[in-house]
Amino acid sequence: MSRRILNVVINGERHELLIEPHWTLLQVLRGQIGMMGTKENCLEAECGVCTVLLEGKAVNSCILLAGQVEGRAITTIEGLGDPEHLHPLQAAFIEHGAVQCGYCIPGMILSAKSFLDENPGRQPTRQEIREALAGTLCRCTGYGKIVDAVAAAAQRMAGKEPTP
Amino acid sequence: MSARNFRVAGQRLPRMDGIGKVTGKHVYAADFTLAGMLFGKILRSTRAHALIRRLDTSRAAAMPGVRAVITAADIPAVRFGQAVRDTTVFALDRVLFMGHPIAAVAAVSLEIAVQALAAIDVDYEDLPAVFDMEAALKSAVLVHPEWATYKALPIIARSGNISGRARIKAGDVEAAFAGAHRVYEHRFTTALQHPGYTEPRAAVADWDANGNVTVWTGTQLPFDTQNTLAEILDLPSSRVRVIVPGIGGGFGGKLRIGVEHFAALLARKTARPVRVITTSEEELTHSYPRQATVVTLKTGVDRDGHLLARQGRIVLDCGAYAGSGPATAAIALQVLAGPYKTAALALESFAVYTNKGTSGSFRGPAGPMANFAVESQMDMIAADLGLDPLEIRLRNIVHEGDRGPSGEVLRAVSIEECLRRAAAAIGWDDRKPAPGRGKGIACGWWMTTGGSSGVYVKINPDGSATLVSGAVEIGTGAITGASQILAEELSLDLADISVTGVDTQAAPYDYGAQGSRTAFSVGNACLAAAADLRRQMFAIAAAQLDAPVEAMVLRDKHVVAGDKSISIAEVARISRLSGGGLIAHGTAISPSPAYDPGRLENHPLPAWNTPSFHAHAVDLSVDPDTGTVDIHRYVVAQDVGFAINPTYIEGQIEGGVAQGIGQALSEEIVYQDGKVMNANLTDYKMPTALDVPDIESILVECASVAGPYGAKGVGEPPCIEPPAAIANAIAAATGFWLPSLPMTAEKIARELRARRK
Ligand code: FES
Ligand code: FES
Repeated sequence: MSRRILNVVINGERHELLIEPHWTLLQVLRGQIGMMGTKENCLEAECGVCTVLLEGKAVNSCILLAGQVEGRAITTIEGLGDPEHLHPLQAAFIEHGAVQCGYCIPGMILSAKSFLDENPGRQPTRQEIREALAGTLCRCTGYGKIVDAVAAAAQRMAGKEPTP
Repeated sequence: MSARNFRVAGQRLPRMDGIGKVTGKHVYAADFTLAGMLFGKILRSTRAHALIRRLDTSRAAAMPGVRAVITAADIPAVRFGQAVRDTTVFALDRVLFMGHPIAAVAAVSLEIAVQALAAIDVDYEDLPAVFDMEAALKSAVLVHPEWATYKALPIIARSGNISGRARIKAGDVEAAFAGAHRVYEHRFTTALQHPGYTEPRAAVADWDANGNVTVWTGTQLPFDTQNTLAEILDLPSSRVRVIVPGIGGGFGGKLRIGVEHFAALLARKTARPVRVITTSEEELTHSYPRQATVVTLKTGVDRDGHLLARQGRIVLDCGAYAGSGPATAAIALQVLAGPYKTAALALESFAVYTNKGTSGSFRGPAGPMANFAVESQMDMIAADLGLDPLEIRLRNIVHEGDRGPSGEVLRAVSIEECLRRAAAAIGWDDRKPAPGRGKGIACGWWMTTGGSSGVYVKINPDGSATLVSGAVEIGTGAITGASQILAEELSLDLADISVTGVDTQAAPYDYGAQGSRTAFSVGNACLAAAADLRRQMFAIAAAQLDAPVEAMVLRDKHVVAGDKSISIAEVARISRLSGGGLIAHGTAISPSPAYDPGRLENHPLPAWNTPSFHAHAVDLSVDPDTGTVDIHRYVVAQDVGFAINPTYIEGQIEGGVAQGIGQALSEEIVYQDGKVMNANLTDYKMPTALDVPDIESILVECASVAGPYGAKGVGEPPCIEPPAAIANAIAAATGFWLPSLPMTAEKIARELRARRK
């Protein structure tokens, strides 16, 4: 099979990768680079665990061909914050008990970030948060504490509450 | 110790694995890789019941990149299984369901493995099949004609397609029916429900030079998986090592062997590490979903609504292999009795084989199915007698010291408090607030599964403690809870406790992440280990402080005797120099209560250990045209004994209710002529963030005798009552009960239309 070069910026780092044309971004992230924070499940854009940010917008990396991100910027959960410097969303998910098994959480947090970044400075309603997260399945939490966490992070990100 | 003085236990502390999970650093089984790893795929039957006339793997084996193809002919001829040893790794000469494994391939890439499956030639000769569980009870078509030759637990009663029959009997049902004011008979059906964990089942296996195999897998039961693998591989279990990296949910669907054996067999054949992971299609066609059931109930009452007698029967569809069906069906009998006093009981369960995928023990196995029947019928009886649904329950519930269905004496009974608090919170006085809107209530009880737990606890020279446990943190926060207990007992902070990963080679035995038992049993084992560590530390401190052991306590990370003290860290350092360090082995086992064996026949789980009690109340509207259900409020009052960490208990309640809402309203693996018609996550509908309301939890704390600080099992109960509570609320809104799960908008709309005519 004919391999080709893919240039992509992931979490601010340039990557030059040899890929096969039918590979998805998810395959490249997990299989080529070994970044396992982006999860895999349905591979059919039905569950949302593979969500990453493409130029800041949430996308399902399991159906996005790697070739389509040529020259573009990707953010994965590893690029959001590290254990010493958690992003307000990451901190809020822990504080509000929104994490159980955790497998959906990277996708959930990135979907939430994409949504909050589209609506800067405005406190979304719980219903709006629910709509924004409806593409990501969580089987553990029943979503309530996830909505709590996103609402709290929104407040913090809008500067209405100091980051601890 | 009184709850008020706790510093760590009972506090809303953040879970220990939280940071790893929000930063993507937590490694799950599906993330685990090894250098040079091959990829395994399973060839599955496309027929429901057929003879395999020809199986030719030669074309697949010759493909470039294919490293091995294995079939039943290549592996030890072993039958395994929990209650009945009826299961084989691959179909032998006959496939028993669509999706039945026939062969497995290992290749250098997943793509090549998939292509190789297509190059395996199978010729089938179709056989008559049986798909309907009630038909299977009497069918001439036997799923296992050789059933009598299988080994099984001695307690299990089997015959033909019946893989297990159990009974609970008390009093004289016929006489009681004859004397009853009214007798009600109803039939209920429930559907196959997938556990829905977001991480597929995944395993990597690798053999070492000495013929030992290590399997990294997302299993709930590492020690059970170790034993089953040893049987399948025909090895002593000590040569099988199971490591659980992290697990993306399980809910009972990852109890029994899933893909580990395929990985191990392919790795043995290729002498390379092999990874196997399931697809969504495989999950929905061959995993361990909640069994479909048919429940019939006949209940006799007096004029005031007191239960006099109940005859109940549950038929449970195991699919092609018994799996956990015989035990699950038997557990249903306690649920059919309910948390009610009924003098005469005749309850019977049948687990039956059909030509469908094997089912399993999804969270609270049999609980929601039997509870849906019992609690729907309670409301139907109340309506017929003109009684309030809350009132009929209060007239019949058990109280402290009453006897349960197995004749056991019930302790720490809190069902009345649960019912009253749930009803008050939902605003029970106004049960039909508007046309098309109604409130429903349902209650129940459930066991805290026993089974033993062992832990090692080591005190490190910096004063911290390491907990070594074979218990899997499945997501509930149970290990954080057990660590809170350990920290409390050692006067440490939660941050001072670290937990090692689960490794069957290094960790003491644990019965596994099942049956609402992890925080309960591991917590008890931590209590025992801490008591031993206190003895060890006090002995060292006695010499250092020149004080009697009797005067010593642990306080603020120090051993304190009057005005003298020494830090735990210092004691640990001294012990390292003189005694090999501080380490304790704590164990716990919860014996089941005494019961009346005369009431039971062939019941593998005769009496419930430390039962919990709970009541759910819901307020919803039904759209008069579409039948769509809109849940406004959902309240749970659950007796947890002692809330070790209220945040994660609420998390269990909210998540369990969400699963219950799915079972109530939308989830069903649909079979037609043996074929799953909705094997993808678009057509199999689990609740999204838009389908689940904010759930209100009331934590009732009626302390148990056996649990740590009085705790009871928490994890399973929340998914038990939602179908019944919702059915009763739909009835309050519409005037009718749907006796069949899921209660989809289509079914409701059809009934609404029929009633308008
Ligand atoms: S794995 Fe991409 S949406 Fe499910
Ligand atoms: S936390 Fe387990 S799926 Fe969301």
